[in-house]
Amino acid sequence: MSQFLLVLVSGVASGAVYGLMGLGLVIIYRATDVVNFAMASLATLGLYVAVSLRDQGVATVLGIVAAVTITVVAGLLVRETVIRPLGQGQLFSALVVTMGVSLVVENVASSIWGDEPKSFPNLVNGTVSWSGAALPVQSLVTIAVAAVAMAVVGYLFARTTLGSAMRAVAENADTARVVGLGAQRLARIAWALGLGLAALAACLYAPRSGLVPTALVAPLFRAFAGIFLGGLTSMYGAVVGGLTVGVLDNLAANYASASLRDTFVFSFTVLVLLIRPQGIFGTRTFQRV
Amino acid sequence: MRKFRRAAGTTAVLAVVALTANACAEQDSAGAGGNSSEIHIGAWLPTTGATASYGVPQKAGADAYFKMINASGGINGRKIRWTVKDNAADPQQTVQIARELVGQDKVVAIVNANGTSQAEAAFPFVLNQSKVPVLNEVGGNESWFEPPRPGLFGTQTLYEDQAAAIAAWTVQDGAKKILVVHSDPAAFVNVAKQVEPVAKKGDPSVEVDRLTVKYQTTDYTPVISKVKAAKTQAVVIILTSPEAAAFLKEAKLQGLSLPMYAYAPVAAESTVSLAKDAAEGLKAVQLVKAPSDSDPAVKEFRTAMAKYEPKQPAGFLALWGWSNAKVFAEIAKTIKGPVTADAINKAYEKATKVDTGVSPVMNFSPSNHLGTRSVQRVVVKDGVWTSEGDFYTPPKRG
Repeated sequence: MSQFLLVLVSGVASGAVYGLMGLGLVIIYRATDVVNFAMASLATLGLYVAVSLRDQGVATVLGIVAAVTITVVAGLLVRETVIRPLGQGQLFSALVVTMGVSLVVENVASSIWGDEPKSFPNLVNGTVSWSGAALPVQSLVTIAVAAVAMAVVGYLFARTTLGSAMRAVAENADTARVVGLGAQRLARIAWALGLGLAALAACLYAPRSGLVPTALVAPLFRAFAGIFLGGLTSMYGAVVGGLTVGVLDNLAANYASASLRDTFVFSFTVLVLLIRPQGIFGTRTFQRV
Repeated sequence: MRKFRRAAGTTAVLAVVALTANACAEQDSAGAGGNSSEIHIGAWLPTTGATASYGVPQKAGADAYFKMINASGGINGRKIRWTVKDNAADPQQTVQIARELVGQDKVVAIVNANGTSQAEAAFPFVLNQSKVPVLNEVGGNESWFEPPRPGLFGTQTLYEDQAAAIAAWTVQDGAKKILVVHSDPAAFVNVAKQVEPVAKKGDPSVEVDRLTVKYQTTDYTPVISKVKAAKTQAVVIILTSPEAAAFLKEAKLQGLSLPMYAYAPVAAESTVSLAKDAAEGLKAVQLVKAPSDSDPAVKEFRTAMAKYEPKQPAGFLALWGWSNAKVFAEIAKTIKGPVTADAINKAYEKATKVDTGVSPVMNFSPSNHLGTRSVQRVVVKDGVWTSEGDFYTPPKRG
């Protein structure tokens, strides 16, 4: 039982990270029709800044704030300089551009900070005993921070005027513009929010993995699996999908095979998509031909 | 008609001269790079890309050695010019670089390059077509040296022999039940498979199991659960350095305290910096002595690094580069006359008792192109890799 609890908590903590990244991807995608492949590398840039600050003696929490800020600023720069000029609805062009940006940012990080793995500090150390299992406090904090961030985003979209405006833009940017909503301003806010969530997720993930320029490729991959599982357009779907991927990944490694964890998770995702192509929470769209 | 014949004759003579000159030039390409004032050698190294964390320190270590030896007059009065080109760990790019190094730069040998698949991509052009030797490559596998290939010489104990050394060590420490935790790519599986036969040779009653883990796993919680469930007495880790660090951290978190052993890629500074106190007591085998040793040869390395490559830490990988450079220099010193590809091949085949002071003593012969099977045992003590005893040769495999 204690072993199951340990594996479950660890899976939920990993899933929370994938869920946060997935949420960021969905927010940006819904607001601007851009699948942002550069999100992970931009967040890595933020992590490197946080590590540099830590090396200068700055507190970890301030480093995390700096990481989020840097990621958001870098992301907005990318949007304004290379994504916005493409125009609205250029899904595939934007996809390729964000992939290119991702490679450039990884190379920049590599040339500034090198490729030697660096450690990223835990927010908290130690364990908590529960039902005979020694649960890492860092995992519990990861789950709590991710839950709070998700709740705030949920509140923002459900209960505030800004959230309603962003939902309106997501539904139809042209109509939103007609009724006086500044689509570009809202798009910038969506990018800032999405990248901020990604940076937060990165700060929660990095203590476990260490930091190299490509450190966040694996969680981004799983976040994508999560959002397709949950439904590309659904924020709830991104969170539930990410959590499902994280938990299944760990359960498969523990009870099936540690080498087939990915195979298990992605087979499950494919199976779900065969039954519900729009994902668990996604909305099926129809196009007139 | 006569004019035509004369013109045709002149053309034929010119053609013969041109062809002869070209043939001479081709024949000479393998001997190029050696003149009276310098020995021009080259290498492909990943100084950018996924494995740059290996290539950059390796280059710095070798650079420090070559700068030091050039400052003291070079080899028999000849300075070493080491031209390094970044292949970003890409085999296709390596082939292009090999063509540049051999065809344009006219290097006399490829020395201290990096990467198994990258080198294999370049072998047809470099070794077979151009007859330029490839020496002291970081990487490689058994097929490179069994049977020996003309022009290919190695200085790195094979990963399989490293596994054999670990197996002997665990048995020597009294473990009766050993679990080998390894990544799933074939290169890791092959190394992991070498543990059992050697362990059983040491003690037939030893049980050895293997636990395969997905490559680049970061969440080791379920893996450690499995290790605990296996009720083993020792764990052998055949993972990358960041994976090993994640494994060790999770093991400490879950209170798993078993003797743990690893092969050379884990015996890196990054494992300690990532795992911190969770790495304490980790045992591993290495290709060189620990860079913190008080040994005079290691001290010389640290001094040269501080002088010539002050920005690069004097760690294991830099010491690999240093050691490989020194092996080349020690063998090149024995060459009397022009340093050509052929002369280098002959010198390597005759080279015995090549002692760099930092790596095992190398012995080559016409039938043995791999200089050593020995390793150095190292242990993490107070957060630093420390050598244990002298170089050790593991029992024969198979």
